[in-house]
Amino acid sequence: MAQRLQPARRAFIRQAGALAAAGASAPLWAATRRDVVVLTAYPDAVVSRFEAAFEKAWPRYRLRVVWRMPHDALPYLRQPGQGGVDVYWSASPRTYVQLKAEKALRKLPVGLAGLPGRVGGSVIDDPDGYFAASEVAGYGFAVNPAYLAREGLPVPADWTDLARPAFAGHLLVPDPVEVGFAPVLVDIPLQAYGWDKGWALWSAIVANARFVGRGGNFVSDEIDGGRSGVGLSIDFFVAAAIANGAPLDFVYPRQGGVNPAHVAVMAGSPNPAGAKAFVEFILSEGGQRILAHPDIRKLPVRPSVYAGLPSGYHNPFAVAEQGGYRYDNGRGRGRAAPVAAAFGQVFVQPRERLAGLWRRLRAADTATWSKAWPLLTAPPCAEAEVDDAAVQQAFFARRDDPAAEARARALELDWAARAQARYARAEALLGGA
Amino acid sequence: MGGLLMRLVLAGLVGCLSPGVAGGEARVLSWQVADAGREAFSRPLADLTEAERERFFRGRSLFNQSWVVAPAKDDRLDGLGPLYNRLACVSCHARNGRGLPPEGQGERMQSMLLRLSVAGVGSHGGARAHPVYGEQFNEEAIPGVTPEGRAELRWIEVRRRLPDGSLVSLRRPRLSFPELGYGAMGPVRISPRVGQQVVGMGLLDAVSDATLEALAAEAKPDGVKGRVNRIGSEPPELGRFGHKANMSSLRAQIAGAFLGDLGITSTLHPQENCTPAQAACRRAPRGGEPELDDAQLDDVEFYLAHLAVPARRDMRAPQVRQGESLFAAAGCVTCHRPALRTGDSSRFPRLAGLDIAPYTDLLIHDMGPGLSDGRPDFQASGREWRTPPLWGIGLTRRITERERYLHDGRARNLTEAILWHGGEAAAARRRFEALARPRREALVAFLESL
Repeated sequence: MAQRLQPARRAFIRQAGALAAAGASAPLWAATRRDVVVLTAYPDAVVSRFEAAFEKAWPRYRLRVVWRMPHDALPYLRQPGQGGVDVYWSASPRTYVQLKAEKALRKLPVGLAGLPGRVGGSVIDDPDGYFAASEVAGYGFAVNPAYLAREGLPVPADWTDLARPAFAGHLLVPDPVEVGFAPVLVDIPLQAYGWDKGWALWSAIVANARFVGRGGNFVSDEIDGGRSGVGLSIDFFVAAAIANGAPLDFVYPRQGGVNPAHVAVMAGSPNPAGAKAFVEFILSEGGQRILAHPDIRKLPVRPSVYAGLPSGYHNPFAVAEQGGYRYDNGRGRGRAAPVAAAFGQVFVQPRERLAGLWRRLRAADTATWSKAWPLLTAPPCAEAEVDDAAVQQAFFARRDDPAAEARARALELDWAARAQARYARAEALLGGA
Repeated sequence: MGGLLMRLVLAGLVGCLSPGVAGGEARVLSWQVADAGREAFSRPLADLTEAERERFFRGRSLFNQSWVVAPAKDDRLDGLGPLYNRLACVSCHARNGRGLPPEGQGERMQSMLLRLSVAGVGSHGGARAHPVYGEQFNEEAIPGVTPEGRAELRWIEVRRRLPDGSLVSLRRPRLSFPELGYGAMGPVRISPRVGQQVVGMGLLDAVSDATLEALAAEAKPDGVKGRVNRIGSEPPELGRFGHKANMSSLRAQIAGAFLGDLGITSTLHPQENCTPAQAACRRAPRGGEPELDDAQLDDVEFYLAHLAVPARRDMRAPQVRQGESLFAAAGCVTCHRPALRTGDSSRFPRLAGLDIAPYTDLLIHDMGPGLSDGRPDFQASGREWRTPPLWGIGLTRRITERERYLHDGRARNLTEAILWHGGEAAAARRRFEALARPRREALVAFLESL
């Protein structure tokens, strides 16, 4: 737990330099200022702006940020005294559910008036009031219009467009095993089109694409650099690049989905009043407006804020009112990890093999096509398997629990073996190995 | 102006100020990027190979990475602190641009830090660290360790009337310490510094020692001297980076900032930044030996070395051309050198042998009492500061969202920055002050084209 700093108000510093006269009497708030310790995984562009704005709004508090990736947050918060953390603020829905189950959170000490708590089919606030969404992010396609014009390609409007042979070699897909935002991206078409059709669609899309991992370059880098025409992405990376001058567009497909980030107060918060102030600020009109900064570009959860945002700012609530955003994030939250792992086994690792098969499939006669197509597009497993709670827990806990890792790995190997067998049969039909 | 034009002719400077111009047409050179947007300081050199691009992006990730308290599952990224200023390199160089000082009372130093020292010379030949608070005031600490406190900065306005009757308001900082974690400081020298823009550092790193020595040895007008800050003693290295040129190489600058700002050790700085008086700091868990391994340091160095410099804008606009002539005629180019050539860079061959336009001589100059921080650093006195590069300076407002210049961000625009010039730069400043307002504006327009 962080030690609270004892002000040394009578400190006298003899300043040798010409500029500083240290030791002036401290302002009154300095003696009473208390820390608010926030655990987060937000980047500096987000943290520094909220830090400055919060401390300006609440000068009696000082924000102390402890940074932890989502997969490393739980061990930190399971320490004695919850590591002295007052507030957990991050985009990791599954972690919040787990913390709530462990009774590690206290009920939110703020009212949620003006916060709808859901976007279309996605419930973004905890129904029991232990955590609330602080922002959401959408998914879609980063598009380089100049690239598409040069290649004579249309701007894709929905997932099915990406499966067209014309897009072969022009797509970029984030590897969901490596890129944190991508598992939900993978799950959106699986829910929208159904399990079987969704995997078939992904197979055709992957055949057109190359993958980007976590090497440090982003989809927006690659698309902006003209190295691909279309990149699948979470929206804010691309929206920020566009807001800062990149000549790109971002297309929200008709079948969309959102992923919320949340804020919660820890049960053992050493400074509950400060935690309350921070949560109130995050959810306030002023706090929500910060999300529209060109370096952030996330989607506010307070609909009233959108009226004051730049023209064309994506409003997921308005889209949901028109019937969009049917994605069920509650279902997706549990199965995101096994779905991503399956995707990795059947698509990412054998991508070159799969792309070759699709090239031959697209050139095949109708009779061969009808036999081979199912072999390239079959789901890696039954949908019930990834919806199984024990399977989901194995993937969620695999980093911390050797038994869970063994179970998860066995499933991966099984999915991979089944896919490889299908691909081998397809090669027998289509030729080439 | 006749006298000024004559100075130009005599100096032979007309026509050689702009490496970005050939035959009257602007062109983008290999070390430049044609981007005037908010990504202008974030672009790689255009001709990187695929492997180099991967390395560039790995370095960028590390530069942008928020570091975590050890121990952590992310064992490549743990080891923050125990004492530190900010979580990430980018915290002080947002969008690779300049840092900003606090503006209002109680506002924290988000991209500014305080260098500390006491009288005397340290074991490494540089400033002698404060025995309790060390070389840098760290306002943050990991849980279980007491932060060093909180500094507060207020601005004192100073009015100055120019020869044409214009009244300008300048400001100087005044520091206080409303909170101190380890007791009173006693006698101490304090120097507030904002983060510097980081483009073009590889090119400056590639300027040879011989070039720096030759620049220092040149006879210069107006009483300008300029000298190399020599670092260490066996043998001394020539300083290039830092506000007082107290770092000899880009690699040293990076490793020094990792330790001082983030508390991240490296092979160049294997010891944590804890003083003997900071017991909890010394006991705190470490994130590795060292915390930033050499491969990571290589990647960050590669990234910063290969950031392209934004190409100039509006070069042929009459006002800009006039300002460029006035910049030279006022004598600014004596220190803000418009043309340097890189040497044979052994680390990054593609940076070797290039004609660059950094508008710096990398030398330290006496800038007068108004800018003195009273804190010597190796051979640099309190009044001496390295000539800052001016390339990209015209994009400051766009990238940083506010204009703040000079080592402590006191100048709120380029005119204020010029008016703070004293010492060896006093003659150039007086020539600027003597210009009619439209000519002063033309000179600033030229700077904004850089």
